[in-house]
Amino acid sequence: MGQARMARPGEGGARRHRVRAWELVRFLYIGGFLMFLLLPLYWMVITSIKPVSDFLAVPPVVFPSEPTIVHYTAALYSYRGMQGLINSLIIASATTVLSVAVGTLMAYSLARFHTGGQHLAFWVLSQRFLPGIAVVLPVFLLYRNFGLNDTHTGMILIYTVFSLPFSVWTLYAYFRQMPVELENAARVDGCSRWQVLKMIAVPLAAPGIVTAAVFAFIYAWTEFFFALILTSRTAFTLPSIFRSFLGFQGAQYGESSALTVISLVPSIALGLLVQRHLVRGLTLGALHE
Amino acid sequence: MGHHRAAEIPSGAGVSGRGSRIFGRRSTLSAWVDRHFGVLLVLPAVVLIVLLSAYPLVYSLWVDVVNYDFQIPGHDFVGWQNFKDVVVDPVAATALVNTVVLSSAVVAVELVLGLLLAVAMVRPFRGRGIVMPIVIMPLFMSPAIVGQFWGLLLQRPFGPTDYVLSQLLGRPVTISWLTEAPWNYIAVVLADAWQWTPFMFVILLAGFTSISHELYEAGQLDGASPWHTFYKISLPLVAPILLLAVAFRLLDAVKLFDIIYIMTGGGPGTTTYTAAFYLYEKGFQEFHLSQATAGSWIFLILTIPVISVLVRRLLRPETA
Amino acid sequence: MSGGSGWDEREFHTGLSEDVDAWLRGETSRRTFLTRLAQLIGGAAVAGPAAAMGSADRASAAGPAKVELAPPDTPLGKAQAAAVAASTQGPTDGSAYRAVQAAKKLKGATLNVTYESGLQALEPKNYSGPQWQALTGIPQNVIELPHPDQYSKPIAEHIANSGAYDILDIEPAWIPSLANGGVIQPIDEFVARYMNPADLDDYHPLYKFLPTYKGKRWGVFDDGDELCLYYRKDVIGDPKLQQAYKAKYGQALRVPQSWDEYSQVAQFITDQLAPNVYGTANFRKAGSPGNQFAFVQEFRANGGVFFDPQTMKAQLHSPAGLKTFEQMMAQNKASVPGNNDLDAVAQWVAWLQGKVAMIYSWPPTGRMSENYSQRSKSINFVPKSEIAGKVGYAPMPGGHGEMASGYVKSLAAGSKNAEAAYLFMQWVTSPPVSLARVMLPYTLRDPYRLSHFKSPLYRSLWPAAVEYLVTLNNSSNEAVLDMIMPGWQDYALSIDRMCTAVWAGQDPKAALQRAAGEWDAVTQKLGVEKQRDAYQQFMKLPGAYPDHTIATMGLGVKLT
Repeated sequence: MGQARMARPGEGGARRHRVRAWELVRFLYIGGFLMFLLLPLYWMVITSIKPVSDFLAVPPVVFPSEPTIVHYTAALYSYRGMQGLINSLIIASATTVLSVAVGTLMAYSLARFHTGGQHLAFWVLSQRFLPGIAVVLPVFLLYRNFGLNDTHTGMILIYTVFSLPFSVWTLYAYFRQMPVELENAARVDGCSRWQVLKMIAVPLAAPGIVTAAVFAFIYAWTEFFFALILTSRTAFTLPSIFRSFLGFQGAQYGESSALTVISLVPSIALGLLVQRHLVRGLTLGALHE
Repeated sequence: MGHHRAAEIPSGAGVSGRGSRIFGRRSTLSAWVDRHFGVLLVLPAVVLIVLLSAYPLVYSLWVDVVNYDFQIPGHDFVGWQNFKDVVVDPVAATALVNTVVLSSAVVAVELVLGLLLAVAMVRPFRGRGIVMPIVIMPLFMSPAIVGQFWGLLLQRPFGPTDYVLSQLLGRPVTISWLTEAPWNYIAVVLADAWQWTPFMFVILLAGFTSISHELYEAGQLDGASPWHTFYKISLPLVAPILLLAVAFRLLDAVKLFDIIYIMTGGGPGTTTYTAAFYLYEKGFQEFHLSQATAGSWIFLILTIPVISVLVRRLLRPETA
Repeated sequence: MSGGSGWDEREFHTGLSEDVDAWLRGETSRRTFLTRLAQLIGGAAVAGPAAAMGSADRASAAGPAKVELAPPDTPLGKAQAAAVAASTQGPTDGSAYRAVQAAKKLKGATLNVTYESGLQALEPKNYSGPQWQALTGIPQNVIELPHPDQYSKPIAEHIANSGAYDILDIEPAWIPSLANGGVIQPIDEFVARYMNPADLDDYHPLYKFLPTYKGKRWGVFDDGDELCLYYRKDVIGDPKLQQAYKAKYGQALRVPQSWDEYSQVAQFITDQLAPNVYGTANFRKAGSPGNQFAFVQEFRANGGVFFDPQTMKAQLHSPAGLKTFEQMMAQNKASVPGNNDLDAVAQWVAWLQGKVAMIYSWPPTGRMSENYSQRSKSINFVPKSEIAGKVGYAPMPGGHGEMASGYVKSLAAGSKNAEAAYLFMQWVTSPPVSLARVMLPYTLRDPYRLSHFKSPLYRSLWPAAVEYLVTLNNSSNEAVLDMIMPGWQDYALSIDRMCTAVWAGQDPKAALQRAAGEWDAVTQKLGVEKQRDAYQQFMKLPGAYPDHTIATMGLGVKLT
């Protein structure tokens, strides 16, 4: 690392000013962006605890004088938020398990045996970009024949398929980077491939599995489009409840904000869990930190 | 990336070694499983994808060419009629144009904002550890929720936006963000950018941090202004990553639906209909299911070239 | 970018949470970690269905429902008591009594009922659902849907063969589409078996025929949504304003008798009194419940016809259409700020806060203006009325207010509890029970039976209630209807979109032409011949056009 050369006389002051100006701009921008991110969230949280009379107030109330949690209870019970919450939990958890399990198997196969070569990999990966609308119409009709509309199973299956690219690709990257020596040694010792997978490869890929699991969970937790179309009274997920706030009973701001806050909690918590592995997940392993 | 390592695990001693002595009679099944292991492993995934993606798509080819409509009974063969209905529908054209315009706009905005943020945050500073999690938060939210609270902010008469703007600008602001053109487009771009700028930011940041610090220092030593360093050195180096990010984001942006559904309902009129929203309306509000299916095939065909290119690019480093 | 060669174990481990890190370091055993994870998922999987079932069937799991009743010495309390009496004691040939008796034998059913979300759904949740359960032991699930979804959701469920709904709350104008599509089933058999025919005659003549289509009966009418004009007597009657108006226009300031006069009066008031009071406020937001009602009302008042009866070409882009937009845009100009974003509830808020001089809207306006609705805790998001005692009622300018939407209770075709569902429908619309329901403070259900309009109990609710009921009844004699034919919802949404496009700045002429094109496409799709027949049928209905109403056919019932 070289040393900074000595500043020529007169030059140092100008440069320092320039540097400080850029610093200021930099922090202003970061601060501004943070404001941009946080203000809508603030407004939403505040709205969820405002008494109804505050909704109609002009000028808008920045902090309610009588905060209330009545919107949370209304959202959970009158608007069936509790049922939506539980449905989302069930569906997201099951999707996670299935997606990661199936994805791990496939990722291992692709990494170690190049099964299906380019074509299989291409096919699986391209599912990530398939427009939902192309698939949801026939799936809706097909589910009808099998009684899968508006069921947990139906949602779990479709979410698994669409989160598979994430899972497969995250784990594929891990497996490819893992040294084969341990597995080879186990094979030589007489272990079957299944045992190698189960007892060596999977434990070593644990961080990747957790990452894939979190991404799968978040996908199923936040997905809206399929839930809107394929669920109704029974298996509706938390995001799809927001459809019922569209009607002309405009003053359900409190309940819709409360539901938003409720659904954000797991999202944010899980997001923090995998923030270091974010880039890998977002780009399906093409990049990583 | 380690791909020079042997991809195959030696299958040599599998059958006759210690393992088979332990498992005895099951060795035949075990051996069979071993021989076909690769294929067996991918079977569950393949079955799922075939059942829920490939088969529905094939089935929809049939729906494309018959009448499948709530208001008209029967499933008579109609040939190209469904496709024709979509092509001549003026709302479909509007939706297509909107999709192109809106997705380009959101990706451009997110790129610029994300790039600036990545540049601003690339050098560590005190508190960066707190700022980072805040910035990536929007990525884990449901787009429907993002649309929900942006709608809350922008709506009239009870949203705070116009009031705050009026105070800031010193004169009354009476913009109907959700029901007036061109403000409704801006509202959609705002909401989408709020959520996905962090996506660009995270990827670009990863790109920038991987540029060797030495290059930076060298540039600064030579008296180059930060702008010059950036323009001539950093930018070209992150260009491939940038393109990757843009491609990812663009392919997701063309599917824009959730925010439109919640914030504008496609309105006013049909001015914020995107392709996905148009197809949803046709299929699940008007129940012209065959027409909607035909439309979604057209949409798929339009996006397949971009998808192919991107996926091939993603696969390249792995198989080189 | 892709790192160096070799695999750095640390690279993968950093950043994960403490727990996982600890596990990876071997500090917790894999077994405990997996056990905990499995417990979490398993717990959710087990508790989930149980809780989901619990909350869904909470209605049935709970014991006899508690009904919130008004104090028995109030008019509402008396009406509610009368409803219970009619259901339990008789008269024994009354629809209420017969329904309850028959339904008691069908215990074990649970009914799934759709309602418009928000205010509209308060009534079944707080009164008719629990009351029915108390009388018969049959619980209900209320499914709340935004107005457009009340059409599309049942169709989606029908296509999906789910049998999810038993009773559908639908617009009468949707009946042709839904009947043709097999989503609803006729109830003639049940009516013959259980209903007291006299109760059918108790309907106001405008509503009596609405649920019939192709010779069959498809539901029971349940909500008299007659649009009327509500105005501030203190503003219109203010002497200073009257003087100024006379000076400017040479006419007296009065309740407008035509749409042009309406815009003129509204603009005048805005010019004089803004920003304290504005001339008018309108529900212009898409789907809330929609611009189609206001548009087709004024369109017909201006002489517009929907179709050319021979060619079935849409006639929206006629001079009548342009004139309608001129008038509506003049109204927008004279309205409160943010007019184009108002939905029906926001319009009420502005009205109740005293900011508006005239509005046309649904009948709950009258009850809310007098603070009658706001007595109930359930209706907490409608503000207290600042204008009680100052509100006058009048028919629409020009006299032909639209019966905008309205509701019919229909039997879903896939219902597994058809008989129990029908019996509830009969009970809930029977004269004594429906009277109690339309008198509830928080209800959005409006009077529709002659016995409602004449009811001494209702008439005693507030001083001007008599005038209110009489205005509603007499307006219904002159009312025009939504276009009851197959495809109405498609035609209606087309108009809603057309209007919002114009509010956003599009040229009205272009918008009208575009909507007419959309209408023609719908007509084509459904079959021009079939639509022509359906349109002929519609034109025969009393209320199809201003020159063909209940009144012009001599069927009107005038009340005082």
